Amino acid sequence: MDYVLTLMPSMLKGWTVTLQIFFIVLIFALPLGVIMGIARLSTFKPLAWFMELYVWLFRGTPLLLQLLFWYFGLMAVGLRLEREMAVYVAFVLNYAAYLAEIFRSGIQSIDKGQYEAADVLGLNRKQTMSQIVLPQVFKRVMPPIGNEVINLVKDTALVYIIAMSELSRAARIHAVRDENLIPFAIAAVFYLLMTAIVQQFFKWLESKLDYYR
Amino acid sequence: MKRKLVLILALCLALGLFLSGCSSNADKGDKNQPPAGTDTSWQEIQDKGYFVVGLDDAFPPMGFRDEKNEIVGFDIDLAKEAAKRMGVDVKFQPISWDAKVEELDSGNIDVIWNGLTITEERQKQMLFTAPYIQDRQIIVVLPDSDIKTKADLAGKKIGIQAASSAVDAVEADKATYELIKDKLLEFDSNDLAMRDLKGGGLQAVVVDEVVGRYYISKHPNEYRVLEENFGVEDFGVGLRLGDKTFHAELEKALNAMKADGKAAEISQKWFGEDIIKK
Repeated sequence: MDYVLTLMPSMLKGWTVTLQIFFIVLIFALPLGVIMGIARLSTFKPLAWFMELYVWLFRGTPLLLQLLFWYFGLMAVGLRLEREMAVYVAFVLNYAAYLAEIFRSGIQSIDKGQYEAADVLGLNRKQTMSQIVLPQVFKRVMPPIGNEVINLVKDTALVYIIAMSELSRAARIHAVRDENLIPFAIAAVFYLLMTAIVQQFFKWLESKLDYYR
Repeated sequence: MKRKLVLILALCLALGLFLSGCSSNADKGDKNQPPAGTDTSWQEIQDKGYFVVGLDDAFPPMGFRDEKNEIVGFDIDLAKEAAKRMGVDVKFQPISWDAKVEELDSGNIDVIWNGLTITEERQKQMLFTAPYIQDRQIIVVLPDSDIKTKADLAGKKIGIQAASSAVDAVEADKATYELIKDKLLEFDSNDLAMRDLKGGGLQAVVVDEVVGRYYISKHPNEYRVLEENFGVEDFGVGLRLGDKTFHAELEKALNAMKADGKAAEISQKWFGEDIIKK
């Protein structure tokens, strides 16, 4: 127990880094995902094609390699992002690609008849999207979004590659230095705590959004 | 109902297998610490015909993979030569450096031979051979850097390999550590730290001399090494605490290699100079 207490200061410090990445990425990636999901379905074909290429590129390569690219890759050509900035750019662009696909599938799941009905009622396309389609989309996509958010909690561990000391890195440093595996177990408890909160939040959100049933 | 029963049976079976797997591991663990006087470790190695070296296969020049994906390096050559002299074969097993003690105690590997620094902490967990190399913790900067001494490091961003003996060496130097501890960045590997230094993300890197010299030799004129360093340390081979007879045999082979110049020859090949500790 004493040993566990000696780990706490650096683990908690790592945890705040993890939380900071988590919230900042979420705040930027969610709206970006919505916009990209809509753009993916644009009737302006070049935009739709560009989005398809984007999703392929960012979903098709490991996030770890993308992190290396935004930090070390840009550095090699003389551009240098700050460490934190490289992390935010890499995570937001990567997660937006996944979220865009979820929102796209959500939008496509709305029955064509609703668009026709909105048209008959005299709503324009923008109104149809924001008043009729998107509110239903948000209800339907919550479970897969919850999946992605939980993934994000754990993916934050990848930033170790550019020397950011987040939670699992802090655990690893102790594990190696003390030749002891307990720090990993403690890190697991921290992650479980975070995902428990996310899971309960989405459970609550899904029940809140479960109107008209 | 029937299906449920089958499921429960399957689960019991799986659990049983899992538990029996665990217990056989435990048996193996006990064998590693026999009471004094009944150590059969060397006999077991001879019966097997080989010993297994555990290593991090991404640690040039001590142990790493060449273009053909074969494990090569300074420690690899030393281990092969020692095995030859002992009349047995040697196998190389990449391991996670985090779990090296567990790998050793469970019997998956017989020695850790990979630029392993001899520390007091580790001496409680492993049996070390006599040191075969002495290593310094050097400070690497860019050629045009204004950093000349350790004192100049104050307030600078400094890269270091996470959980390495370089970290211990820097922490042991209390006066300097106080100046730099807030800006110390821990990297997964030394090559990323060196790359960050070259790209301008860091102002200095503290690294094992054997590793640092290897990188610098690959990129001549791109780095400068300070006169001052963070002290010396010894590399040794780590064995299970109980493996006394195996340890004696290995020590004998290593001493012979040092005496007849074979170790020096291997050192020349990898470092361009003889840095073997006699």
